[in-house]
Amino acid sequence: MASKNPRKQKNVSDTARFGLFLTLPAQVMLFFIVVFPMLAAIYLSLSTWSPLTSEGTFWYQAYKYWGWLSNYWGLVRQKDYLLALARTFIIVLVVVPVEFFIGLGLAFLFLEKFPGKKVFHSIILMPMMIVPAVAGFIFYMIFQSAGPLNAVLSRVLFRDVTLTWLTGKVSALICIMIADIWEWTPLMFLILLSGLMALPEDQINAAVILGANRWQRFKMVIFPLMKPVIVIALIIRGMEAVKIFDPIWLMTAGGPGTSTESISVYMYKHGFKYLNWSWVAAAGILVLILMSVISMFALKPLKEKKQEA
Amino acid sequence: MEQKLFVKILKFILVIVVTVLFLFPIYWMVTMAFKPYTEWTAAGGKIFWYPTKPTLDNFRSIFSKQLKMNPIAGTAIRPVVNSLIVAVVGTAIAMIAGVLAAYGISRYKRGGNLPFSLLQLRMFPPIAIIIPIMIMWAFLRMIDTWFGLVVIYGVVTLPFATWLMKTFFDDIPHELDEAAIVDGCSNAGAFVKVVLPLAKGGIASTALFVFILNWSDFLVALVLTDRRWTTIPVHISKLQSALVGQLYGPKAALGVIAAIPPIVFGILIQKYLVRGLTFGAIKK
Amino acid sequence: MAKIVLDHLVKRFGKQTAVKDLCLEIEDRQFVAILGPSGCGKTTTMNMISGLLKPDAGKVFFDGKEMNDVPPGQRGVGFVFQNYAVFTNMTVYENIAFGLKIRHRPPEEIDREVNEVTRLLQIRQLLSFNASKLSINDMQKVALARSMVTKPKIFLLDEPLSNLDAALRNIMRAELKKIQQELGQTTIYVTHDQVEAMSLSDRIAVMNFAVLQQYGSPHEVYNRPKNLFVANFIGSPTINFMEGSFGSGAFTLKDFTRGKIPLSKQAMHAAGQKLTSQEVVIGVRPEHLKIMDRGSEGAGFQGEEDGGSPSGLLAKVVSSEPLGSKTIVYLHPDANPGVILKSSMGSDYRPAIGEMKELTFKEKNLYVFDKKSTELAARF
Repeated sequence: MASKNPRKQKNVSDTARFGLFLTLPAQVMLFFIVVFPMLAAIYLSLSTWSPLTSEGTFWYQAYKYWGWLSNYWGLVRQKDYLLALARTFIIVLVVVPVEFFIGLGLAFLFLEKFPGKKVFHSIILMPMMIVPAVAGFIFYMIFQSAGPLNAVLSRVLFRDVTLTWLTGKVSALICIMIADIWEWTPLMFLILLSGLMALPEDQINAAVILGANRWQRFKMVIFPLMKPVIVIALIIRGMEAVKIFDPIWLMTAGGPGTSTESISVYMYKHGFKYLNWSWVAAAGILVLILMSVISMFALKPLKEKKQEA
Repeated sequence: MEQKLFVKILKFILVIVVTVLFLFPIYWMVTMAFKPYTEWTAAGGKIFWYPTKPTLDNFRSIFSKQLKMNPIAGTAIRPVVNSLIVAVVGTAIAMIAGVLAAYGISRYKRGGNLPFSLLQLRMFPPIAIIIPIMIMWAFLRMIDTWFGLVVIYGVVTLPFATWLMKTFFDDIPHELDEAAIVDGCSNAGAFVKVVLPLAKGGIASTALFVFILNWSDFLVALVLTDRRWTTIPVHISKLQSALVGQLYGPKAALGVIAAIPPIVFGILIQKYLVRGLTFGAIKK
Repeated sequence: MAKIVLDHLVKRFGKQTAVKDLCLEIEDRQFVAILGPSGCGKTTTMNMISGLLKPDAGKVFFDGKEMNDVPPGQRGVGFVFQNYAVFTNMTVYENIAFGLKIRHRPPEEIDREVNEVTRLLQIRQLLSFNASKLSINDMQKVALARSMVTKPKIFLLDEPLSNLDAALRNIMRAELKKIQQELGQTTIYVTHDQVEAMSLSDRIAVMNFAVLQQYGSPHEVYNRPKNLFVANFIGSPTINFMEGSFGSGAFTLKDFTRGKIPLSKQAMHAAGQKLTSQEVVIGVRPEHLKIMDRGSEGAGFQGEEDGGSPSGLLAKVVSSEPLGSKTIVYLHPDANPGVILKSSMGSDYRPAIGEMKELTFKEKNLYVFDKKSTELAARF
């Protein structure tokens, strides 16, 4: 047994260096492609620079067009921005619960055996795997006045239905919600099914023998045990729903007018149609602040679950 | 517990109904892709629920200029190739950085806040970050280039790659690493010779998962590409203009091509989808 | 307090039959153990009695009433699971109160009952703790209390002691028996531990490979096991089996050079009655199989009365286990080193390894099994 010390010394520093090396690429990527642009965005947001109006100066000369918080002040008073924010949250508050409940119901159905279960399971996954932009396109086709939806309705209602779903302010929003629900319910289904299958069967059997009926079992045993999974599902889906862009852009491009703009659509339009980059930078920072606050509350359960594990 | 047969049948019907609802839009697009011109034009007012005369014309038209059937003839080759290249390279970048970081987090508890900053990254609307990046990229002349795009793809999917790989590494008992080190391996050696081979399956699944995410991206490519490096989703959105917006047939064909890889890969890695999408919070 | 009758119960899982044609009658207030190795069908049987599983054939009766279509929650049974299955999201109090809360009993009554049962099991001090944070031993008591509080007529216990540490197991065994006698429930107890079954039950149902092997009192299954399986399963250390043949007034054991055991006339007659062929398996329990030095006074097989001269069954000592209260000596027959015999000797007995000893046992301690049918042919 040779003297261990020099080897151990080498090992310790070797270990430390290796550990550092491992996370280095990720840290570097994060810094240059996230941190640095963020700082640049903050810098821009405090100016009124725009490639259109600023006589061809480069962005780093935005200090020449300093505006302090004028962008922010303008944003919180601009109807379109506030509406986009509100609309986004309305969308989220509608689609996430709907996706949750349909997904939950479906998950319960899949707890039992029935023929072809694996096939059905794979088919139900498909909406989630479709490229979101393509899903937007599909629903664009479906909601056309000469499209299949109207055809079905015509048959059912015994008269010609030629509604243009995507041109009405409210109906267009509903169409977008339908597209999102179609696309993401399978995700909720998957997560909730995992949760249900992981439930301790014995506890449920114990409740059965003690006389609990279906509702009592659900309320007193199943639901409490499912809470962590439910929270995760809602957070994960909520996080993504706020960013909704693809289906909207493909179906209505934010229209008619601005009546289906989500935050992402709003910012895209102002960034690329109006080239109002400092404005958009400020808009983005505002959203970031808002989401940070929300995320601090939302990520707590996730963090806690990790620490438990 | 046993149930009445009647209830069982009812539940099965419910499953079928839901499945049909989920399947219909996809069915619609697929059949549209195979319909001849007469069947997908809105003119007639008649709906064809399935192609009575299935044809590959739509596919042919988007790929070759020869048929000259419509304004978008032959334009699809580039986007398809671009999507492929960009998704593969972007995945590679995310995987390399992610696998290393995941191992570091799993074994060395290093990275401090890295895991959670990666998680927070996903909370921010990409559009907010993409504008400053676009400005930077414009300045560096990286707009409408493949390397400009893949770098962002790597970063955007890095959280998924890292978290998912971390769960796979956690599944491999770290006693194996220690055994290798006791046998004389260096830390890096233990990683490369012992852990990586064992994690092969996890790496493959994670790579497919990340590929799906990159392939499906729309907004990033929309912002960072212009003409030469558009990907399939961007191309489809460009075709929404008044002139060619009603070209359902060819556009559906493009959509079908776009949809195949993620659906196939998704079904392949079904087992790990929940793990990936919940950042490892839920492992079946 | 109910009489349970199992009438030709059958349960299949796919191609496997877990329980084959089981008929069992359990009297009111009895403590019956279902004993057998893993996979023998005992838990499946329990689940059919409780209602969690529906039998493929046959019926379950409680007090003469058919129970097949009665859901588990309405059968009035209390069930304790092998891993306790306490509700991990509730406190101990809520766990135990569960059954009463389901039935919408008034809070004062619930309070009273919970306190009563926790006093009985000495877990009063745990009431406000979360049930998942308890030690295994406490969890078991909570599971027991939970099933007791609704005052069920029938108790079903699925290997309730197998997860406990050895020290507590003995204590809990006594506790369980005491509680059962106090409260008077008909109790069915599933276990693979024959010591538990023997010490706790009024009757034991021994099962193997989905079939009921024997149903009788501990004394019965010990002294008159119906077949080789039961004889081997009950008793610790396990019974010794020696193969041989029956003929010309004696058993000839084939593993010994001089393996002839002359029998008394009654013995011969009794044995001849039931045996279907000449092939037999002789069983002798270790506590009846003594070893003595060769040729010493009183050594060898002792037939009754006119049994004839003692035979010379020789065996070589392989090893010995001093267990404190007794010493188990392992030997093999002189003609067959592949068979191991066990002899239970006194606590000070120290044999020398490799020594040849003479097996000493009495005719009345023999179990005679028909080799082909594996059934008990005679006990003298």
